[in-house]
Amino acid sequence: MMDKDNRQKSNQNEKHNAKVGEETSPTLLHFFRRKWYSLWRGNPPGMILLSWGVIVGIIMSIPIIYVVWNSLFAGADRWRRLLDGRIPQLLWDTFSLTFAVTLCALIIGVSLAWIVVRTDVPGRKHWQWLMALPLVIPPYVGAVTYIIVFGPSGWMRDFWRDTPWLVDTFGNYPLNIYSFWGVFFVLTMFTYPYVFLIASASLRKMNRNFEEVARSQGMNTSQIFWKVNLPFLRPAIGAGAILISLYVLSDFGAIAMLRYVTFTAAIYFQQASFDTAAASVLSLVLIILTVGILWIESRTRRKNKYYQTTNSYKVPDTLPLGKWKPFTLLYVIVIFFLSVILPIAVLIYWSIVGIERGAIDERFFGFAWNSLKVSGFAALLCMVLAMPIIYLKSRYPSVISSAIDKLSYAGYALPGVIVALGFVFIFNNHIPWLYNTFYMVALAFVVRFLPQAMQAGEASLSLVSPRIDEAARSLGYPPWKVMIKVIIPTILPGVLAGGALVFVSSIKELPATLMLRPPGFDTLAVRVYYEASEALYHQAAPAALLIVLVSIIPLRYLLKKY
Amino acid sequence: MNKALKVLLFGLLAVSLFLVVGCGDDQGDSQSEQGTGDTEDEGEVVEVAGELVVYSSRNENFVQPLLDKFEEETGITVLALHGANPLQLQQEAGNVQADVFISNDMGAMGYLHNQGILEGADIDGIDSIPADFRADDNAYFAISARSRGFIYNKDMITEEEMPKSIEDLFDPKWSEVENGYAITRGGNGGMIGNVSALRFEWGDDKTAEWVSAIRENAAGIYEGHGDIRRAVGAGEHSFGLVNNYYFHQQLLEPSDNNVGFIYVDQEEDQMGVIANAAGAGLVSGAPNQENAIVFLEWLLEPENQVAFVGESLELLINSEYGAQYPEEVEPYIVEFDELKVQDMPIKELGNYFEGTTNLIEDSGLDLDLR
Repeated sequence: MMDKDNRQKSNQNEKHNAKVGEETSPTLLHFFRRKWYSLWRGNPPGMILLSWGVIVGIIMSIPIIYVVWNSLFAGADRWRRLLDGRIPQLLWDTFSLTFAVTLCALIIGVSLAWIVVRTDVPGRKHWQWLMALPLVIPPYVGAVTYIIVFGPSGWMRDFWRDTPWLVDTFGNYPLNIYSFWGVFFVLTMFTYPYVFLIASASLRKMNRNFEEVARSQGMNTSQIFWKVNLPFLRPAIGAGAILISLYVLSDFGAIAMLRYVTFTAAIYFQQASFDTAAASVLSLVLIILTVGILWIESRTRRKNKYYQTTNSYKVPDTLPLGKWKPFTLLYVIVIFFLSVILPIAVLIYWSIVGIERGAIDERFFGFAWNSLKVSGFAALLCMVLAMPIIYLKSRYPSVISSAIDKLSYAGYALPGVIVALGFVFIFNNHIPWLYNTFYMVALAFVVRFLPQAMQAGEASLSLVSPRIDEAARSLGYPPWKVMIKVIIPTILPGVLAGGALVFVSSIKELPATLMLRPPGFDTLAVRVYYEASEALYHQAAPAALLIVLVSIIPLRYLLKKY
Repeated sequence: MNKALKVLLFGLLAVSLFLVVGCGDDQGDSQSEQGTGDTEDEGEVVEVAGELVVYSSRNENFVQPLLDKFEEETGITVLALHGANPLQLQQEAGNVQADVFISNDMGAMGYLHNQGILEGADIDGIDSIPADFRADDNAYFAISARSRGFIYNKDMITEEEMPKSIEDLFDPKWSEVENGYAITRGGNGGMIGNVSALRFEWGDDKTAEWVSAIRENAAGIYEGHGDIRRAVGAGEHSFGLVNNYYFHQQLLEPSDNNVGFIYVDQEEDQMGVIANAAGAGLVSGAPNQENAIVFLEWLLEPENQVAFVGESLELLINSEYGAQYPEEVEPYIVEFDELKVQDMPIKELGNYFEGTTNLIEDSGLDLDLR
């Protein structure tokens, strides 16, 4: 039906073109025009709108193309040296960490979602949002707090040393936070909420009918969980796993603070000593890893299809926990304590110490101001740049608009260090007048976070009927003007929410800021990283706390989204 | 609630928009204007003195107070990039950003000078620096000196038990002292200078073996020396390879300060301590060259040479200017001329820099953290 419609439409267009074209344009041009129209299904956007979209798409992908290009010309010698000496170890370290964190975060996230959504654990209404709270703590801030508490000179060590029976039974303080397990633990604690949110959303949608059928066949609760619920959770688990593994691949701050070296950290260190060729080679491997993960996910998802029937939907019942109630509650509380209470308490304690010692001085406000300036500018740019892309995608679907859309995700999926690496190349060599300005940092944020603004805008735009556009077009507006005059005012709340997301992500962003900041332009995130690495916790804590407070802003949006 | 949130978000973004448009520009423009840019929006009365871009690879806590003092006394706005790598200057050679480079590795200075990144100039007061501690054309000069050695925790190991030579670290037995010992990552400026000096002394093969040995045997590999002194002070390691002034700093800590220091290789037939120095250099083609020279001349004033040492507690090359050390540290100060120092001229380090970074990269120590 649709196809036939379209064909008819494009036929009409062709006829129309033929009439105009016969006198003026040669056959070749005619041919291209016909191709052009069929590409857009007979409805091409105006030139202004299209070129805007194309430019944004190109800007978004240039850094990555540049890095790949550079790595291909790094020279066989360097490739061989890295492949022999460095890459195998890095691959192992990166893979083992990614796998362990993803697995454990999945277990914690799914189990918590199950407990909170489906059982009568006390206070389940509140747990639903409390368990998502670790999202507001950037993992590098979490790592700092864990170093303060569990580090080799931390509070826990002091307690251990001063408690004779512990020393007598277990010997010296056994925990080493600067190890695989330290990194693993910290990353798990601050990433599980992604799985938790997605899994609880799907659990809430799960239909009771399936479980009732299973129960009538004589299955008990645990069998139902494995045979019915878990398969239905498969898409949610896949989505969560991909988010977490991409996060672990891209994280720099927590990993560097805990003295672990993955690909991302190695790229940062190579770039910090300006061995750009080696950094590019490592980046290419990391890009391949990332694309590999995305590919695996899309393949496994395609193989299985799950359907939820909506017409006979029944709210799932709440399972009584019975004698398990205290244990379950304890489990939830322990996770909450480790991932929220402990880090926040440490931050507050050191912030108070810091304020007493005058850590909040003129410089501090300068850093906060820099953060605000660069993140606000990035958010603004994202809101402006996301518009043409989502408008093209939803109103003028074609190969070109979906290519632009995909390109925009390139910087989002890849680690910030790679984007920063590309930016250093490009700006230093080709755009010197912007090099070492804060605009460069803001642009890097745009490349990193534009899709967040796009997703928020798309959600709103999907609610606006194309009829409204058509009405505006019929009254004589060109497409770009329709977008500005009609569509933007309608979807403004969604766009602003997207801007807020970008703002918060930018404030938290660490590696790209570290690599690109101009002289005299430190941001809060950079200060947290620096002060914490100098063990000046009273200086680091107020900045970290401020970042956490700002991050609470979009939490409502995130909670609603899932 | 929902509406309030939206209003809040909108307000926030609107404010940031205004700020960016209103004041944001001076940051970018000042790069090209170089003179008048930054002073207007501050609203203060500042002489129109423009700005100075300083790249520093020295610890920020030592450098920032010095820069603040300079800013206060001259009215020149200082934009500092702390934690800068010397090679960044080389990469920016076609698009020069920095005016002055401050470093605590004369090897990096010498290397940049060899590459034509630093350039000489007429600087008043340069004569106060001994000829050994400055470039022939005065493109860079050193103000304070340091030597390598071991900081150790007196609760864990005695002076007699400590290794006395840098060569001792070949021996794996030192990994068996309580909690082992600590070194820095190979990308650290102090470590690079250390390895350069060993290459001068031993040649590449033996040095590469030494790097592999410490990489293998060290219990902790840290990003910086500050981490090591704190770790050793706290008993996380028995000893660590650092510069002597980190020992001075640890003495000042309110707790964990029962530490000692070994000046290595002091015997008759040994090489002497490995020395290095910290100082500043003038970047070739500096956008604010006049201010850069103002800064360097200001820095050479005796009072400011003392300020350069500041909290770092290094040794002033011109010790007669009387750097002030706190009373906890004073008794432990060993002046440079009381030590047997390796006979490698500090200026010579620059010729070793590139080979050393390659050697370290081959060993893998540049990426290790532990």
